[in-house]
Amino acid sequence: MNYPLGFWDISLLLAVCALVLLVTSELLSPHYGRTRIKINKNRLKNAALTVSILFLATVALRIVSILIGP
Amino acid sequence: MSDRAYRVRVGTSAILLLLLGALATILSVIYTSSVTAFIGLGMIFWGAILAYIRPDQSVSASLLNATANPALSTLNQTLNELDYNGKPVYLPPKYLNSPDETKIYIPKSKDTPLPTPEQIQNLESQTPSRNPEGLLLTPPGAELARLFEKTLGTNFTRTDLDYLMKNMPRLMVESLEIATNLEIVLGTAKPPEPAKDPAPQEGEGHDKIRVRITDSIYEETSRETDQMTRIHGSIGCPLTSAIACAIARSTGRPTIITDEKTSDDGKTKEAEYQTYAEAI
Repeated sequence: MNYPLGFWDISLLLAVCALVLLVTSELLSPHYGRTRIKINKNRLKNAALTVSILFLATVALRIVSILIGP
Repeated sequence: MSDRAYRVRVGTSAILLLLLGALATILSVIYTSSVTAFIGLGMIFWGAILAYIRPDQSVSASLLNATANPALSTLNQTLNELDYNGKPVYLPPKYLNSPDETKIYIPKSKDTPLPTPEQIQNLESQTPSRNPEGLLLTPPGAELARLFEKTLGTNFTRTDLDYLMKNMPRLMVESLEIATNLEIVLGTAKPPEPAKDPAPQEGEGHDKIRVRITDSIYEETSRETDQMTRIHGSIGCPLTSAIACAIARSTGRPTIITDEKTSDDGKTKEAEYQTYAEAI
């Protein structure tokens, strides 16, 4: 019984989720006059940024592994 | 759907997604299936997001207007009864005993001059019946102005007009979501058209400030106050009053609302403020 997903699968999932969250956060921004939508937009923005940073961290790990790898 | 029902539905969906995601993840481990693992992780992720971005407790704009209007109506009637005809002046903190407060001084007649800061500080401790020359009241937008300060994490007394010009639009639109657009223009020029960007202007030396608010949540209240002769164009609706408080506190000058206009469709409100260096 092994967990079927590897590090890069998780990275891909984070990339897709980050993209969806960032686009949603931008589209729902009150900056464009959307002030009547009942979700906490600050939290949505925070979640989008956090997931994006996590994805970028996996990318950074990948780059480091390529640079110091054999 | 009511706000509570909406919150409950979002909460239930989040829990359901989390449970299904956990189940799919366990199954993916048992059957070593990467597709099920992706589905499970995705569900857990979106369940957590849904639970996290659940809306704060909010009230509908109609309730806000229903509670604000009677107080303004009472104020209008009181001023009518007492026959105070002077232009209400928003006082900066130097006129008051407590620097955190904002008050308006309503002179008995149009010719009554604004008392000195020391005289107003003495008036604060007296009952209105003992000061027939003028009334000292808390304006309808005082608490809203305090909320502006709290949200911005500052005290307007430590800021200036430039700060207001830079931060108020963002505060109104993005942080508090009170309106869909807000423009502040200094001087006598009319605000630019909404499609154009307001040109940056210097904040020093101006005594007239024009504000244009688009699609505010106080639309209904604003329409009601337009009918109140002692409020419209002088004390202002809660939103224009709060902006007047902010201007008085940030400039440190007595401020009056010289003009207040609502567009025919009620979506846009324009207010003009004037600050005075010395006593009016």
